[in-house]
Amino acid sequence: MKGVVFNILEELVIETAGIAGWNSILEKTGSDGIYTSGESYSDDELFALVSEICIALDMPAEKVVGIFGEYLFEQLNARHPTFTASATDLKTFLFSVDTVIHGEVLKLYTNPNLPRFEYQDRGDNQLTMLYRSPRKLCILAEGLVRGAAKHYGKEVSIDHPVCLHNGADHCQLDVSIK
Amino acid sequence: MSESSSNPFEVAYHRERKIRRAAEQLLEDKTRLLHQRNIELSRTNERLIEQQTNMLKQEKLATLGTLAAGVAHEINNPLAFVTSNMSALDDYHNAYHEMFQFVKNMRERLSEDKTADLDVAIKKLDLEYLDHDLPMLMKETMEGLDRVKKIVLSLRNFARSQEGERAYIDINEGINSTLRLIQSEIKRGIELKLELQDGLPKVNCNPSEINQVILNIIVNSAHATKDEQHPLIRIASFAEEKYVCLAIEDNGYGMSQHTIDNLFVPFFTTKPIGEGTGMGMAIVHKIIEDHGGEMHVNSEEGKGSRFTIKLPVSLDHKEQIYTG
Repeated sequence: MKGVVFNILEELVIETAGIAGWNSILEKTGSDGIYTSGESYSDDELFALVSEICIALDMPAEKVVGIFGEYLFEQLNARHPTFTASATDLKTFLFSVDTVIHGEVLKLYTNPNLPRFEYQDRGDNQLTMLYRSPRKLCILAEGLVRGAAKHYGKEVSIDHPVCLHNGADHCQLDVSIK
Repeated sequence: MSESSSNPFEVAYHRERKIRRAAEQLLEDKTRLLHQRNIELSRTNERLIEQQTNMLKQEKLATLGTLAAGVAHEINNPLAFVTSNMSALDDYHNAYHEMFQFVKNMRERLSEDKTADLDVAIKKLDLEYLDHDLPMLMKETMEGLDRVKKIVLSLRNFARSQEGERAYIDINEGINSTLRLIQSEIKRGIELKLELQDGLPKVNCNPSEINQVILNIIVNSAHATKDEQHPLIRIASFAEEKYVCLAIEDNGYGMSQHTIDNLFVPFFTTKPIGEGTGMGMAIVHKIIEDHGGEMHVNSEEGKGSRFTIKLPVSLDHKEQIYTG
């Protein structure tokens, strides 16, 4: 996982639990906490940090990862506002993730191991996103979609009838924009 | 936690974090720019390699042109006296033959011992065989010399500066007149499809040279389709921007990449020795080049070949044609 994700996680924890809270989590996981945005770090390190955050906040992992997804979108958008500037609405933006946005990410980072998305347009304000990634971070993807909806001033409901965690080879995210 | 915290270390932390963000942003901006420049550089590099390859080909052909001119000149002089001598030798042989026949006729009038001496001399020198074989040797030698002459002529055509008489011609007329010339070559079951665009601008060119180009390519196409069950040659003419184009396409055996790469090199041929000089396509290319045109070849082995010739339309003339 790219260091920028760790940087944003650090910012979220410091906003929520202060520098002492972040230091405590680092201490428990044994991480040195030095993350450079363009560098890649072990996925296990991220999962260990999230696990400790769940314990510290007494929240289930799905909830923490979902909240982090929303926050991650907000922070990534603050760093790279051009991505949302080029899409006038949420649906257009979501359709642009796999080709336009991931294409831009590839210009910045080597081997970013990006997830793949396929799309099914289900008419006005409805679309299905098929998510594929060996990391199985579908909940984070849901959070990112919610973060994007918030940016465009929309509310969304996401059904997740097919999931990698249940043995499927992809996750199906049915997004309804209200 | 905000920078308004009373803890000076926390304030410093947030300040440092901002600095790091700014530094990373700068790095990302530069990385994006570098990526963009890298793409541009790669494209430029590809274009350069292509131009360099074309330049090398042109230089190679130009060098071969100079070499061809020199070789043609050097061969032409001895060829002239060898041909002249051969012609004289032919006359001499006729005289010899008449003399030999005369001697044989005189044999009957000689005494018995003289006749025996003459028979021994004729047998010893194998004069009967020489008299019989000489005409064939002369004939084959003259045929060989004719081939050498044709090769030298091809070399001179390849090398000479093409500043012959030019005229504004309708390329479709050139195609039709060439097809009339080679009817026998293409009538053996080859399906001929003509897709000639009407009203094309006329092209300023040497008509006989352009007809030679069309003829060479069609004959090659006919040759390439000789083993096809349903041989097909499609000839199209059309306008494209500032060019009048001619495309000749066949469904023959096609060419390998090696053949395509060497197609315009003098003496390169895929035909058996004696069946082709390997100068045809070299001359075709030279003629098109001298007319300021372009020639493109697409071919796939087992599927066929397509030759596209683009001849420039003189702007002034184009205007005259279109405005009537």
